[in-house]
Amino acid sequence: MGPPGREGPALLAEDVRAGYGAGDIIHGVSVQVSPGAVASVVGPNGSGKSTLLKALCGVIRPSAGRVRVGDRDITGLPPEEVARAGVGYVPQVDDVFAPLTVRENLEMGGYLLAGRTVAERVERVVGIFPRLGNMLTRRAGRLSGGERKMLAMGRVLMLEPAVFLLDEPTANLAPQVATELLTGHVRTLAEVGAAVLIVEQRARAVLAISDYTYVLGGGQVLMADTPAHLNASQEFTESFFGVGPKVPQTPQAPKSS
Amino acid sequence: MSLFLASLGFGLVTAAVLAIAAVGFTMQFAVTDVLNLAYGAVMIASAFVAYALNQAGVNVWIGLLAAAAAGAVGSVLLNQGIYTPFQRRIGDAARSRITLVIVSLGMTLIIEFGLQAIVGGTSVSYTMSQGPTVRAGGLVLTAVQFVIIGLAVVVMAAVHGLLRYTKLGKAMRATSANRSLARNCGIRTGRIVTVTWAVTGALCGIAGTVFAINNGSFGATSADLFLVVILAAVFLGGPGSAYGAMLGALIIGLATEISAAYITPSYKDVIAFAVLLIMLAVRPSGLLGTAVS
Amino acid sequence: MTTAQLYYLLNLLIYAGVDIIACLGLSQQFGVAGLTNFGFIIFQAAGAYTAAILSLPAASANGGFQSYIGGWNLPFPVPWIGAAIVGALIALPFTFLVGRRLRGDFAAVGLLVTAVMINLLVTNYRPFLNGSAGLSLVPAPLQGKYNPQGAGYQWAYAVAALLLAAGAFWLVQRVTESPYGRSLRAMRDNDIVADSLGKSLFAQRTSVLVLGGALAGLSGGVLVGYITTWSPGAWGYAETIVLFAAVIIGGAGNHRGAILGAILVPVGFEEATRYLPAFGPPGFVDDLQWVAIGLLVVIFLWFRPQGILPERRRIIGATNNIPNEDVVSLPGPLRASRGAMAASPDGPAARTSMQPAPFAGSPAAAARNDPVVLRTVDLTRDFGGVHAVAAVSIEVRRGTLTGLIGPNGAGKSTLLGMLAGTIPVTSGQVIYQGNDVTHVPAYRRARLGLVRTFQLASEFKRLTVMENLLSAVPGNRGDSLAGSLRGRRYWRRDEDAAIARARVLLERFGLSGYADTYGGDLSGGQRRLTEIMRALMTEPTMLLLDEPMAGVHPRLARQIGAQLLDLCAEGMTILMVEHELAIMDEFCDPVIMMAEGAVLATGTMTDLRARTEVVEAYLVG
Repeated sequence: MGPPGREGPALLAEDVRAGYGAGDIIHGVSVQVSPGAVASVVGPNGSGKSTLLKALCGVIRPSAGRVRVGDRDITGLPPEEVARAGVGYVPQVDDVFAPLTVRENLEMGGYLLAGRTVAERVERVVGIFPRLGNMLTRRAGRLSGGERKMLAMGRVLMLEPAVFLLDEPTANLAPQVATELLTGHVRTLAEVGAAVLIVEQRARAVLAISDYTYVLGGGQVLMADTPAHLNASQEFTESFFGVGPKVPQTPQAPKSS
Repeated sequence: MSLFLASLGFGLVTAAVLAIAAVGFTMQFAVTDVLNLAYGAVMIASAFVAYALNQAGVNVWIGLLAAAAAGAVGSVLLNQGIYTPFQRRIGDAARSRITLVIVSLGMTLIIEFGLQAIVGGTSVSYTMSQGPTVRAGGLVLTAVQFVIIGLAVVVMAAVHGLLRYTKLGKAMRATSANRSLARNCGIRTGRIVTVTWAVTGALCGIAGTVFAINNGSFGATSADLFLVVILAAVFLGGPGSAYGAMLGALIIGLATEISAAYITPSYKDVIAFAVLLIMLAVRPSGLLGTAVS
Repeated sequence: MTTAQLYYLLNLLIYAGVDIIACLGLSQQFGVAGLTNFGFIIFQAAGAYTAAILSLPAASANGGFQSYIGGWNLPFPVPWIGAAIVGALIALPFTFLVGRRLRGDFAAVGLLVTAVMINLLVTNYRPFLNGSAGLSLVPAPLQGKYNPQGAGYQWAYAVAALLLAAGAFWLVQRVTESPYGRSLRAMRDNDIVADSLGKSLFAQRTSVLVLGGALAGLSGGVLVGYITTWSPGAWGYAETIVLFAAVIIGGAGNHRGAILGAILVPVGFEEATRYLPAFGPPGFVDDLQWVAIGLLVVIFLWFRPQGILPERRRIIGATNNIPNEDVVSLPGPLRASRGAMAASPDGPAARTSMQPAPFAGSPAAAARNDPVVLRTVDLTRDFGGVHAVAAVSIEVRRGTLTGLIGPNGAGKSTLLGMLAGTIPVTSGQVIYQGNDVTHVPAYRRARLGLVRTFQLASEFKRLTVMENLLSAVPGNRGDSLAGSLRGRRYWRRDEDAAIARARVLLERFGLSGYADTYGGDLSGGQRRLTEIMRALMTEPTMLLLDEPMAGVHPRLARQIGAQLLDLCAEGMTILMVEHELAIMDEFCDPVIMMAEGAVLATGTMTDLRARTEVVEAYLVG
């Protein structure tokens, strides 16, 4: 059963394998997101959530599998071409240009836009994140954690991409700010028609705003369902306490005394 | 007082030449993380391009443009052909940096002595007039020296304008700050790097020519000592910071010339070197840089 | 052979001797210790100038056309000895650049600048060393007694130069093929990790600067005695590049390579051009020579960065005379061989000659019997107004494999860091074996037996696995400049004991076949094992493991888990941070669960899983 949606998926990843050189971290992951929907990816640490996003946006090259945005195959394209295909990516760390001002950060987000549209879009983004409007001339490196995240998301909004990839946007944020970000801004993105794929550590919180959720473990999809079903499922909570598909346990090593 | 003003004037000229050179050097470092020690060699080679035209009867100020072009082409070739391949080949950052600095010294030998093999070991100078002596605001300098100062001001303003107000300039700063994120914005960082080396290469060529003009006579190895002064300005301001390089150039240029007026002139560069060593020992990120780990 | 040819050959031999001595000094600094000393030529120049002013008569002699300090007309061999000493002393002011953790290329540039600056000062301050004209009419050694132009004298000079070269080789080999040399190479490969193992970067870099400086100075002394003049033109930074080219081409990290490079580049090159017909304008051939050196450097760094004679792999054979049977039959994995140190009847906590004395003031016996090895009292770490760790009080019991789990940001790594001493404590206490170690630095806690491993890859890539293990042992007598100079006999016992211990560990963890594999060639899992073995080399009482299974294949992870359990059965105490909760299930008891800086619960995984607040903590994230 797939995630709810109107048309075909905006983002479709099939059987993606990827890693950082030595070996693959994710072994055949398939996810999809429809326009106007929020799909989340949760799972314990080391399950490959960040690696998945990096493979989708071109930061690392998948060793196998396919990634499509709409009907365009973007598998293996470098990040600048993936951006041109309409994918906006907010990394977990190093998510702003620290020496540039807030306005300049937004302008870089709008790099691919025609000159005149940039100023308009900046206005629009400031409309969504009014606090940014007060800080346009401040250097991004001087912002607080929450403000930086806002800027990072605003930067991605500039292009109004069809697909948003968010990597743990609430990491290092205070709980209230985190909730505000998820229930407010992330949901808004979906409401204006984009497809949002969000990786999160805060499983309960992100389930509350998701239309569909993938549970990743040991580099594979362990479960995929609507939040309602998952929240009611014992297997869901257990999946956070197991890694990978059930591997037959080796007998306990005899204790030498 | 007139001694002070005279040395102030010389200081400004030196600062002018230094500023053009240092800004180019520091921006190359910002965007590729390479200390391009062959910068001086490219400078002087470009100066010789202007010289060749000058010998053919072309005015040296036109020759300056040719030098800028030569510097641009040479620098791009240097980065694309040598530095980038080496960086890709050596994964480990620490080893890569050491290897690249040795490679850049090797390239210095190749360029400078290759040049000397062609043009010979005797010093040459441009055929040009120094213009009348001009008195302005208490300073007494030749017209050419004022032109050099003016040129530096124009170049600094252009660099400032480029970095602050143009899309390209901002993309250059973004690429220097966070290359991966720049790519996520759709910026083709490979091209930005090439353009940066072309622009800084042009600065290198201009710097080489005005250096040669200001020196009077020059030879293939004349820029060796000057490279060290450039390094001093760069590290004072903070490696990778264009504005830091401008500030560093001004301070070093003035400090060396003014002190030269009051102590023996032959030691004036020593001040630059001492500044560099102190910065490395105390604050390698420079005055305007953010503290680096 | 005609006289002219004979003189030419002797000339070559003398230059060869001088260049070999210099290149060996640079090889020690650059090839072995990883110090890119672009100021190297200064040391040679200092030696040459020293030898000159020691042997020259007073400045007023010879009509007083030269002005210089010194001029004491001292007889051979004082000038040469003085040259070496001054070369060594000149190293000391340079240490401000290399002692700290400055980027390698920044430090290299600083050294280059210093060389240029000193050249400038000497050139311009005439009263010091006669400025740009330099010193001439430097007396050749023993020129009062013998005719320096005579064939016999020249022979003797060549023999002296080559003997000194041989001596220099012997010296650098002695230092490099010792535990100290291994520490230098470790510093070259990864200075941060070397630092964390207790190797003083400052002391090590200073010592190679001094040693290389002495050799460079000596080479200058020998050279100036032969050519009888020395001026700033002879030691610009181009000359340093020639020596670097020699070491790189010959083989950095291999002293025989340095000798080969010395013969090929400074000597070979110079001489090759002599045979070329002079073509082109004057100086043309010289210019091409420089271009060729530049090309060679770049080409070698691209195609063969290891040089013609690459650094040899150190295969640590059976240097110890301890029969293998003795090693294997000893109880427990951590006891070293009988031959090297007394086996204690008490069990794993027994002291060996390699361990430091018990913590002052502690009744060691009582501590050994205390069931709680480590505990914390309200341990807190604040960071930017946030409680990364908030008033945590835990106990770790002897002989347990205790797990530490929790969602991201729970404070596990911070807690581990405070226990190890790598992260400072805001308030609270860490009590280890009954003693307050809250403010004791990490390397000292390691010596007390509380050792941590790191998450990131920290093996030394160009050291073999065996060398990686040996590098972790503190207190090896050969692990200092003085110790290494005293020769193999001095440090052999300590080394053999360490080797025996390493072999036992390799056997135990199944990596005996990989003892001679370079650290850089290991797989991820093998690196983890090496990390653990390295920690075990110090015979710790308690291990703090930071995600030892991260990125490891599940099967291997289980093997590692089983090994850790065995260690605990033998008396070791282990606290392990891990995300692989299946491992916790199988091996750890108890498991401490943290969330948001505080301890939420302690128990077996089954216990914890049954508690809803634990499960919620993970889901809340």
